[in-house]
Amino acid sequence: MRIPCPFCGERDLSEFSYLGDAGYRRPELGSENIEEFYETVYLRDNPAGPHEELWYHAFGCRSWLIVTRDTRTHEILAARLSKQAALA
Amino acid sequence: MAGNTSRVASLASLRLPIESHVLQAFVSEAIKPFISCVVTFGAGHFYISQSDKGGLVFGGDIDGYNSYAQRGNLPMVEDVCQSGMALMPALGRVRVLRSWGGIMDMTMDGSPIIDRAPLEGLYINAGWCYGGFKATPASGYCFAHLLARGEPHETARAYRLDRFATGHLLDEKGQGPQPNLH
Repeated sequence: MRIPCPFCGERDLSEFSYLGDAGYRRPELGSENIEEFYETVYLRDNPAGPHEELWYHAFGCRSWLIVTRDTRTHEILAARLSKQAALA
Repeated sequence: MAGNTSRVASLASLRLPIESHVLQAFVSEAIKPFISCVVTFGAGHFYISQSDKGGLVFGGDIDGYNSYAQRGNLPMVEDVCQSGMALMPALGRVRVLRSWGGIMDMTMDGSPIIDRAPLEGLYINAGWCYGGFKATPASGYCFAHLLARGEPHETARAYRLDRFATGHLLDEKGQGPQPNLH
């Protein structure tokens, strides 16, 4: 598997580390709602198909990426910098 | 439904603390009798045994990303072979014949779930991570106990679904709340 880093170009899987589903949202700062933290930390949709996920380009530009990848085929459909996605 | 528990649970509108990951296994060419038992290597996360036909059967870590593809990638092939060489340097000249990938239901703490689901009449025996095949007789026994008596078997009491919400995790190695750390 090769991941097309928007900054470095297409690079081998071994340069990246994986965090997981990019769809999670942290509860508001100061929130005491345990249920929200439980969902954020532990519960996952785990789809068979397109999956938005966080990858870190550790041996490259050290950027966090949001990669859209089909979990049935490993085909990579899109990759963008998470910083840009957060500002958009 | 090993590997597909999340998909089955979604039919009942349940979200589970499970990700599906790919675990690769390997078989070597046939050689003379070399290993008479299963050897596991905790420091490098590797296991190996020899089949009756003489091939060495071995594997190691999951690849570490969500996958239903039933095939893995090369970095983990290298990692598994390195672990094998660290344990048994004599393996170095043996050639790998074939490899394959299977889907694992990885829970967030690396331990299984045997419990009632939040819906009446629905029970869960899932999230067996690396150990589902080997654990089948014992997990089936405990699951049957739960179904028949409505209470968990004493050896499976801690495998609760709500342990993630209550903080009673079974993270045996203290690795953290993410499948690819286990």
